Amino acid sequence: MFSSQSFKDGIKHAIGVPALGLGSSMFAFGAFLKSAGFDIYQSFFSTLFTFALPGQFVMAETILAGGTLLNVFLAVLLTNSRLYPMTVNIMPVIRETTTPKWKQYLAAHFVAVTSWFNMFAVHKKIKQEDKLNYFIGLGGFLWFNSILCTVAGFLFSNLVSHEVLIGLVFINPMYFLIMTISNLKEKKMFFSIFFGATLSILLNNFFPGWSVLIAGIVSGTLGYFIFRKEIND
Amino acid sequence: MTSHFIYLSILVASLGTYFCRAFGVFSARNINADSPIFIWIKCVSIAVISAVIARIIMFPSGILNEATTFSRILATIVVLVAYFSFKKNVILAILSSTISFMLFNHFL
Repeated sequence: MFSSQSFKDGIKHAIGVPALGLGSSMFAFGAFLKSAGFDIYQSFFSTLFTFALPGQFVMAETILAGGTLLNVFLAVLLTNSRLYPMTVNIMPVIRETTTPKWKQYLAAHFVAVTSWFNMFAVHKKIKQEDKLNYFIGLGGFLWFNSILCTVAGFLFSNLVSHEVLIGLVFINPMYFLIMTISNLKEKKMFFSIFFGATLSILLNNFFPGWSVLIAGIVSGTLGYFIFRKEIND
Repeated sequence: MTSHFIYLSILVASLGTYFCRAFGVFSARNINADSPIFIWIKCVSIAVISAVIARIIMFPSGILNEATTFSRILATIVVLVAYFSFKKNVILAILSSTISFMLFNHFL
C-alpha cells in the first residue's frame, strides 16, 4: 500500500493548498491549546486521534467551561456528526468489493472535509483499484501534517500575535467555503448548500446543539427530492 | 482541570469522532455509488458541511468569536468575490480574505 504509486500521488495532491488550508488552522489550534493551559502531549494526541478541527475546539471549550466527560462526548459527537454522511458517501466511491475491511476502517480515520472534497474533485480520473490507496495518501498526509502543525502551533505560538492567530483560524472555514461552492454545478447541490447554510443560522437560536444536523438533513433531503429528475454529474 | 481528566476527554472526543467515521463505513457496506440513496447522502453531506461553515461564520466557538461578526461576514464576501474575480484561484481568494479579515478585525 505505502509503496504504491497511487499512495504517492495522493500525498502529492495533499501537498500545497489542501495541506496549507488545514495546517494553518491546526497551527492556530495548537497555539490556542497552549494559551488555554493544555500541554504539548495533549495537543499532539488530540489531533492524532480526533483529526476533526471543529470538534477539537468544542472539546477544549467544553473542558474549559467545566463540562463532564459525558458533556465532552455528546458535544463532540454532535459537532463531528457530519463525518457520518461524508463517510457513507465516500466509501462506495473509493473501495472495491475485494477491499479488506481493516483498510476501509483505516481510511475512515482520514475522512475530513478537506480530504473528502479533494478526493471527489479527482476520483473520476483515477482507476478504481487505485482510489483507496490514493485516498489514504491524500488523507493520511493531511492528518500527518495536521499533527505537525498542531505541535508547531503549540511550540511557536509566542512568535505570532493573537490577531494573526485569529486570522489563521479563519483560513479553514474560508477554504471549506471555496471547496463547497466549487460544487455549484448541479441545482440540487446549489439548493442543498444555500438552504443548509440559511437554515443552520435560523435554527441556531432554537436548537444550538442540533442546528447543523437538522439543517443538513432537511436541506439535503429537500434538495434531493425537488431536483431528483436532474441528471447527476 | 486535571491532566488525567484532559486525557480522558481527548479519549472520549476521539471515540465519538471515530464512531461517526466507523459507523459510516458500516452503513455504506451495501450502498452502491450509482444508487439513488448515494445521491441523497451526497446532498445531505454537502448541506451539513455548508451548515457547519455558516455556523462557524455566524456563531463560532474557539478564538474566532473574539473577532466581530461584521468582520467575519465582510471577509466571507471578500473570499467569494475574490474567488470568482481571480478565475477561481484558491490561493489568491484565501489570501485576500485572510488579510482583509485581519484588517477589518483590527480597524472596525
